[in-house]
Amino acid sequence: MNEQIASIQTAALELIAAASDERSLDGARIAVLGKKGTLSLAGALIKDIPNEEKAAFGQSLNSARTAITEALEGKQKTLQAIADNAALAGIDLTLPARALHTGSLHPLTLIRDEAIQILRRMGFALADGPEIEDEYHCFDALNTPADHPARNEKDTFYFDSGKLLRTHTSSVQIRTMESSAPPIRIIAPGSAYRRDEIDATHLSVFNQLEGLFVDTDVTLPDLKGTLEYFLREMFGTSTEVRFRPHFFPFTEPSFEIDVKLQVKGQAPRWIEVAGCGMVDPAVFGSINATRKDKALDPEKVTGFAFGMGLDRLAMIRWGIKDIRLLIENDIRFLAQFA
Amino acid sequence: MNVSLNWLSNHLDLSGKSISEISDLFTFAGVEVEGIITKGIASDKIVVAQIMEAVQHPDADKLKVTRVDAGEGTLRQIVCGAKNYKVGDKVPCCLPGTELPAGFTIGETKMRGVESKGMLAAAEEIGLPKGEDGLLILPADSPIGAPVKTLFDSDTLLELEVTPNRPDLLSHRGMARELATLLKTPLISEALPEANTSESSPDFIKLEAAEACPFYSATRIDGVKVGESPDWLKERLTSIGLRPINNLVDITNFVLHETGQPLHAFDAAKVTLPLVIRHATDGEPFTALDESVHTLTAEDLLISDSSGATLALAGIMGGLESGVTESTSSILLEAAYFAPSGIRRSSRRTALSSDSSYRYERGSDPQAVLSAAALAISLLESRSANGCITQTAGTLPLPPSPVSLDLNRLHHLLGDSISTESAEEILTRLGLAKHPDGKWAIPSFRQDLTRHIDLAEEITRVHGLANVPSRLRATFVPTSETDAAYDADMILRQRLAALGLHECQTIKLIAESQLADIYPLRPMQDGDLIRVKSPLSEDHAIMRPSIIPGLAASAERNARQQAKSIRIFEMGRVFRNAGGGKARDQESESLAILVSGNTNPSSWAAKDRAADLYDAKAVLSALLPNQEITLKPKDREGFVLAAEIKAGEQTIGVFARLAPSRERELDLGSPTFVAELDLAKLRKLTAGPAHAADLPQFPGSSRDAAMELPIDTPNATIEAALAKAKEPLLVAYECFDLFSDPTGVKIAADRKSIAYRFHYRASERTLVLKEIDEAHKRILELLKTIKGLVFR
Repeated sequence: MNEQIASIQTAALELIAAASDERSLDGARIAVLGKKGTLSLAGALIKDIPNEEKAAFGQSLNSARTAITEALEGKQKTLQAIADNAALAGIDLTLPARALHTGSLHPLTLIRDEAIQILRRMGFALADGPEIEDEYHCFDALNTPADHPARNEKDTFYFDSGKLLRTHTSSVQIRTMESSAPPIRIIAPGSAYRRDEIDATHLSVFNQLEGLFVDTDVTLPDLKGTLEYFLREMFGTSTEVRFRPHFFPFTEPSFEIDVKLQVKGQAPRWIEVAGCGMVDPAVFGSINATRKDKALDPEKVTGFAFGMGLDRLAMIRWGIKDIRLLIENDIRFLAQFA
Repeated sequence: MNVSLNWLSNHLDLSGKSISEISDLFTFAGVEVEGIITKGIASDKIVVAQIMEAVQHPDADKLKVTRVDAGEGTLRQIVCGAKNYKVGDKVPCCLPGTELPAGFTIGETKMRGVESKGMLAAAEEIGLPKGEDGLLILPADSPIGAPVKTLFDSDTLLELEVTPNRPDLLSHRGMARELATLLKTPLISEALPEANTSESSPDFIKLEAAEACPFYSATRIDGVKVGESPDWLKERLTSIGLRPINNLVDITNFVLHETGQPLHAFDAAKVTLPLVIRHATDGEPFTALDESVHTLTAEDLLISDSSGATLALAGIMGGLESGVTESTSSILLEAAYFAPSGIRRSSRRTALSSDSSYRYERGSDPQAVLSAAALAISLLESRSANGCITQTAGTLPLPPSPVSLDLNRLHHLLGDSISTESAEEILTRLGLAKHPDGKWAIPSFRQDLTRHIDLAEEITRVHGLANVPSRLRATFVPTSETDAAYDADMILRQRLAALGLHECQTIKLIAESQLADIYPLRPMQDGDLIRVKSPLSEDHAIMRPSIIPGLAASAERNARQQAKSIRIFEMGRVFRNAGGGKARDQESESLAILVSGNTNPSSWAAKDRAADLYDAKAVLSALLPNQEITLKPKDREGFVLAAEIKAGEQTIGVFARLAPSRERELDLGSPTFVAELDLAKLRKLTAGPAHAADLPQFPGSSRDAAMELPIDTPNATIEAALAKAKEPLLVAYECFDLFSDPTGVKIAADRKSIAYRFHYRASERTLVLKEIDEAHKRILELLKTIKGLVFR
């Protein structure tokens, strides 16, 4: 009998070795270990074997089963490894990826957000106002009476109603001071409009960021420190900043601010980035008159205001040579900011 | 304003100052330097050379071969065609390597076979004004070999921007005064002559509008000979870019740019005295010097005469008929002080402006009026000019009132960075004088200084912000509504960018032709559009009531650039009236989205497929993943597949495909889907969940149902039936297969096959099989009520 088992084992191991895939290996397993498999049928003979031989028969049966099972498992692993390897064949790490859309935020959004993030860290909250504005909030309250030379109708879009498109976001200063009391520390990003023909450096609709700080003890050192800090956060900690005296009807003294920047391939030069000044007491006077109180008593409160062109900042930041790229929305341009 | 440094040097010693130092000086005076143009000889290689010999060229009748001493030790041979020199003359010699203003460089060459090492030059060839024909003959004592540029004044023209509060800087004298203050150097100007004045009788000047014209003077000058101006005067005017015309015009222009006081000369023969200074009558016509025709109003101020003729629009421009001509022999020279606001209004209304009106409307110096007239008279060189009388009417405005300087506030403003002495010294240098009572007297040319803060500004300006310390401090501020809105907008923007959309920025003024694309949230009626009164062009005439026109135009531009996939959005304000114009100027904020073209970028891995309705809808769903986004059909003219966008029960926007005909007009080769959403509503929906739901504790089970339906039965019918079921065990369902066959082979062409998977679960226990089967049966029973539905 043992010879018979030995020959079953030999045949089974040959069958297993010959299996070339999982299916033929499974066939081999059934042919040997299945209900009617060769080893199973041989095992069934135990009942016909004399008792004193049963133990020996059982032993050789078990050792055959162990050997066959091990061979099956070993072959199974070998076949799996071959299949795993085959699954990797033809995969080319150097083929380009499947394509997904990658969108982008507009450069103006990016620069505005950067400015807002910095100013928020400095304790400024956002404020807002209408773009279709009345003359009072756009000019009169900003110390720019009707016949003031700074107020030029051919530069302003008017409506039949007498209203106008705000020429600067400074009108938000007035709106804010009318509705809140010091300390006021706000920034107001938004659109402004001027009757400029659109060309490489001008848009009739452009974007500004206005700032205002009004409190009982606001001084030129505050204005200087705040704007230097802001511009160094924006352009780098070692950026040189200078304040040139200038004129705005609603601030006195007024300054324009330059930063020294190096455009690629050029010598560093002073580039104008913002205007600023101490709020003119006449502005507080107008607001008190509207409020019918003295919440902004020019004898007690002082403030500074600043404004900058965001389109211009974006052009400086990314070396954009033609401002029209900012409104043409060519996807080839926009996709660079992904 | 243009300023000549040579002219300025008549008033101020600028020697030793480089252009960039002078430029900085202007900059920190608050005067922006917009341009610097250097005139005269630029090259160092143009040197003085003496002609030692000149012989006839062997092969050219018109050329001579010269040998010149340019101070090099040996003589230099140069071929020359000029005839105006003689041997021994000193002339400019351009050495090889000289770059000439005309743009070419002198080299060593042969002319008709004879060597020529350089060029002898005429005045205009080296950047000097054209002189006599031929070479520029230099003075005999010119040092041989010296650069010729040292013999001639070169000049620098500065283009300056003077802010409107500083009319006192709009002249060379005024600018020099300011620079002298900043440099702490004295002025070296010649004093202006004094006018010989007497009060006018009403037969000569009749001042009928004293408010608009507080002071008027006129001087009659006879025996005037109109002709070319002397060289110095022509040079002054050309140095600031003005064209000399004749001595009369040139003198008034010179005086204006020298003193800032405008003058005007009338041809006395064309005036029937007296000069009448009066307001125009409404509708009175006026033809200006530039031949433009205007209809005046009673607000405009005129210089007229007893015949009623309109001689000039006061302070702005002369009339066509009254001006001086070549044949003028007597003039009436006007010097006046006009109230700035009147000039400003007339100039703006008539759109006429001049160097005169520019100064009058900003405020001229009352004290300069008569001395400017006297300067002009002294320059006229007329036989009768000396001793002619300037007749005056009215009174000059009083000097500005003295102003107090509040020292406490000054020191506070400047962070204690300046001493009182230094501050007061600055004011003194600026021409102010401290009264015994502590107030400061203001000079007549500084009408802009009326308050403490004006003086503080002057001190700050001269002191310089560079000398003020910096201080960093902040206050705590609460989050505003605008802050919250901004943060929500940024979240939405970032989501859309992550979904592969590009953010756009379009102009908020749109064209009439773009109205076809407007798709405001609420339909508009006549009177709801807001139009600007005087648009720059038809392209930017209407305030956008919707962002979609801007996105459609952007899509069109990108399609023309061969973009295959256009997925864009924009956020911003939209503007409209409501109720046919009853409620005006309403501003709200919108988000618009446009999807057109390939649904994915081209790649080897997938075929190009144009985005369809469901791709567009996917963007909306992914934008608000926690909301159930549905489209409820609602027709809108000009669009197809128009619908309201709903988040649950709330309408949050509108959706559509552009009409295919419009897509073709815009060169969009694929279906183009647009959506416009109300940002105010959207912002509220971006907030995360109010609380986090527990995960299910017990397993659920799902059942599928395959159905056949008429092809035009909307999916919403199934969803409505499911909602009606109110089945407590049904926790979710999804449509997982949809199939139809237009050929009718696999399924009738008018039918569709649709398959749903239903998920059943109870939150507090494991469901038994029977419960699930019963729940599913209830669902199927309800679905069965849908017309034409059969289960497969």
